[in-house]
Amino acid sequence: MNGLKNSGIGRFTSNIIGLRDSFLKSFLREGKPTTDLSRTAVMANNFFLHVQGAKVHINTLRPGYTLGLGLISLYLLLITVVTGILLMIYYNPSIENAYNTVKDVNYVVFTGRLLRNMHKWGGEGMIISVILHMARVFYTNSYKKGREFNWIIGVALLILTFGINLSGYMLPWDQLSYWALVIVANIIQSPKEVTDVLGITKLFDIGTFSKELFLGGLNAGKEALTRVYLLHIMLLPLILFIFLGVHFWRIRKDGGLTKPEGFEIKDSDTRYISGQERKAEVFPANKTYGLMELVKAKTPAVNRDIENNVLSWPNLILAETAVFFFTLAVVMVYSFYINAPLRELANPLIPENPAKAPWYFLGLQELLSYSAFMGGVGLPGLALLGLALIPYLDREQQQIGVWFSGKRGKYIALESLVVGSVVLIGLLAIVIKYGWLRTWWPDIPQLFIILINPGNIWVGFMIIWSLFVIKRTDSTRMGAIALFTMFLLSYVILTYVGTELRGPNWAFYWSKSQWPLH
Amino acid sequence: MRKRFYLWVLFLSGLVLIAYISLTTYKEKTPEWKKHQAEYKELLIRNAKDEDIRKRAREMDIRLQQLYLGELNRIDRCISCHTGVENPLMADEKVPFKKHSGDYLKNHSVERFGCTVCHLGQGRAVNKKEAHGIGRETYWDYPITKLEFIQTSCALCHDLTFLKDKGGEKVVAGERLFRQKGCKGCHKLEGVGGVLGKSLDGIGSQPIAYFPMRYIKGEQTVAQWIREHEEEPRRVVSDSQMRVDVTPEEADFLTTYIMSLRAEEIPKKLRRLTGARLPDEIKDEGEALYKMYCIACHGSGKESVFDDAFKRTIPAITNPSFLRVADDKFIRENIEEGRAGTQMTAWKSAAAGLTEKQIEKIMRYTTKDRPKERPTQFGYSGYKVNVNKGEEIYASRCASCHGEYGEGGIGLNLRNPVVQNADPEMLAKTIRDGRESTLMVSFGSKDGGLNAQGIADVVAYIRTLSKKEYKLH
Repeated sequence: MNGLKNSGIGRFTSNIIGLRDSFLKSFLREGKPTTDLSRTAVMANNFFLHVQGAKVHINTLRPGYTLGLGLISLYLLLITVVTGILLMIYYNPSIENAYNTVKDVNYVVFTGRLLRNMHKWGGEGMIISVILHMARVFYTNSYKKGREFNWIIGVALLILTFGINLSGYMLPWDQLSYWALVIVANIIQSPKEVTDVLGITKLFDIGTFSKELFLGGLNAGKEALTRVYLLHIMLLPLILFIFLGVHFWRIRKDGGLTKPEGFEIKDSDTRYISGQERKAEVFPANKTYGLMELVKAKTPAVNRDIENNVLSWPNLILAETAVFFFTLAVVMVYSFYINAPLRELANPLIPENPAKAPWYFLGLQELLSYSAFMGGVGLPGLALLGLALIPYLDREQQQIGVWFSGKRGKYIALESLVVGSVVLIGLLAIVIKYGWLRTWWPDIPQLFIILINPGNIWVGFMIIWSLFVIKRTDSTRMGAIALFTMFLLSYVILTYVGTELRGPNWAFYWSKSQWPLH
Repeated sequence: MRKRFYLWVLFLSGLVLIAYISLTTYKEKTPEWKKHQAEYKELLIRNAKDEDIRKRAREMDIRLQQLYLGELNRIDRCISCHTGVENPLMADEKVPFKKHSGDYLKNHSVERFGCTVCHLGQGRAVNKKEAHGIGRETYWDYPITKLEFIQTSCALCHDLTFLKDKGGEKVVAGERLFRQKGCKGCHKLEGVGGVLGKSLDGIGSQPIAYFPMRYIKGEQTVAQWIREHEEEPRRVVSDSQMRVDVTPEEADFLTTYIMSLRAEEIPKKLRRLTGARLPDEIKDEGEALYKMYCIACHGSGKESVFDDAFKRTIPAITNPSFLRVADDKFIRENIEEGRAGTQMTAWKSAAAGLTEKQIEKIMRYTTKDRPKERPTQFGYSGYKVNVNKGEEIYASRCASCHGEYGEGGIGLNLRNPVVQNADPEMLAKTIRDGRESTLMVSFGSKDGGLNAQGIADVVAYIRTLSKKEYKLH
């Protein structure tokens, strides 16, 4: 008997019998996460989880602090990647087939319409969630103490989000795609306005060069579609994922998310953590481990704030899973009811009037209507530069991890919101009612319009107002709050004006029903 | 909820997800066409003549059906709902199960031609609303052709000579009306025709977006637009100058024909066009040409008519009193060069595209009633004219109809080159004798109140009009 058990066949048989256990053990090397040790090991040893710490600060788990926005952005990205890969099975990026294959996805691919809707709304949802995430990080003062560069990466991710959305908008090759492509090509060409004014277009026509590079010719056609497709499925996502990796890595190296000094646990926090947490076995409340030395963050440090950290498994993982399911459910329900638009086949002979870019660029298009160069390149470039520089121009290290950095910041934000709304809406009202320089003096040189237009005046006002706030409060953080609030405000208001109030020939209408016929 | 926030979020989101995944699956598993096909299958079983057919009907698969039409480069999925289109047993059933009417499919097999080549609509779509493409919210350029206009499609591949007694009466009638109502007087087609209206080349395959639909009462389709535009041009396009007078039935015929003017997209080998033309179409005679190019504005030409849309009087060109003073050269020049500043097109081959021969034929036709007796000579060259005097007379006697600067009104435009370069003798005779059946009275008669010298002065003044500044208001 014994001999049989030790024979090759015997061992083989017992290997088969023990297959389930041995496989599980090899998969979960530390066994089931039932003890604090194994829970820690799960986080540290798992490839996908190890970018997060073994412990997580309770502040991070409070939904009122992060609002889950960064995670939601990531999940929306994952949703669009998965649905996008599925759509790629059918989509064919040629002007003969693109439109028809999208139609086929809508009509005959099983759940194709839903997949396309989820891809579309997931992508556009990302724009909203990324902007809100940026606002959250800004208003909680989380771009300081070593996180300055990560903020810049965040700005780059925002640009990439816009770029991927825009390139995707052009793929169905319907009227919306085609005319958006034309508008974008014109925006890319807009530096020509400046070279024209300077009279050097013949020598240095950077605008037309960029446009040709983008379209693969002077007009939007099959070359353009190939390029846009390449950008959408390959180049931009590749860069996005690399930046995303760096973004997460730096958060980890910075010791997780920011948290306020003197953090105090509240009764309500028990909602967000599981009960067994308190009986710590491996890590006593007054001890931390030495690896932290390698990490740039100041907290958690020895004997400080340790009691406010709980194990990531299961607390953080549960929260993340919940947010994932929440995001997926919202996208799914929205996509179930709202169809992604698909208009007539692209027709270069029928210009849409007004030809509008996708909604997230209509604020820019409004600026563009004042001056092609300032609206298309100058002001957005300035805005992005300003955004990127915020952490370097405001270096006050107090009140990190506190919404609005306290009461005064809340007041300043509110004040800027009111003042900004009044000034911007007033400015727009003047433009809409009385026109601008070109209306008053038709022969005025274009240079004056490039230099003096409502967009520039508004940006100038934002800068002056922020300087005024800095002077008044003696705080660069307050100035930054004023500037950022106005930036968000102008994005919202200009986008609204461009989307809802602009009709044919970019004229003003209170509603779509007043548009002249056809 | 209070205790385990994230668990609750997870749980509720999970519930919502399960619910919507089920809903989506249900929706995708029960598309519109499946219901139709299931009903069709039942009909098949019920209508089966013998047990063998019934058995086969029971075995019918319910699945999405599509036709890939290689020659036409399209995909039609219409038969997913219209499954019985070729089944003789379904002759008396209701749409969508019904067999195709007539014996059209005998020579136009569904496998080779599909459906949308004749009926239009969106072949790829698999629900009624989007497949038929009616209504702008479906965003489809070519909605299904209403059955009243369906003969449009016959004319894409067949000659009218063939169609006239093979079920194409409407399109044949439409073509005849098109020639006889003078449509090409304003609308260019294949390089010939006036320029007042839109060119009609390929109009039947132009997208809906070309046509402003706001004032269309019926369905928003191009065919409906054309029909309503024929019936009430100025309701559909407020500044239209179209002169048209058709009964509703004629409008149907005309629309049927006009919709068949499509940019070529059907491969030659599927077409049966021989170039044969109807007998009355071949006749390139004066009368036919007059009807094709002139009649829309000039009508019979016996009387002058004031047109509200043109804001001017259309001259009576076959009126004997006009023909008496206007010689062939003058009329030919009028047709060839048109009248600048009026709606009259220049018809020479370099402009509206008529050949010299055709113009000659039209001229012969319009002048066939020229009275034998010639008007007495006026002898304009014998008078010593006073332009200032002429201006006075013009202001008091002529300006009320012909306009202060001769720009025309109730009366003709006197500024255009044809009048300006006309023989003064002819102008003088016209003023002296007037034009019967028009508002132009005889100024040289007893009641006219102008003596010969006065007439000569006015003629002299009129011939200076083109040099005077005049801005169109």
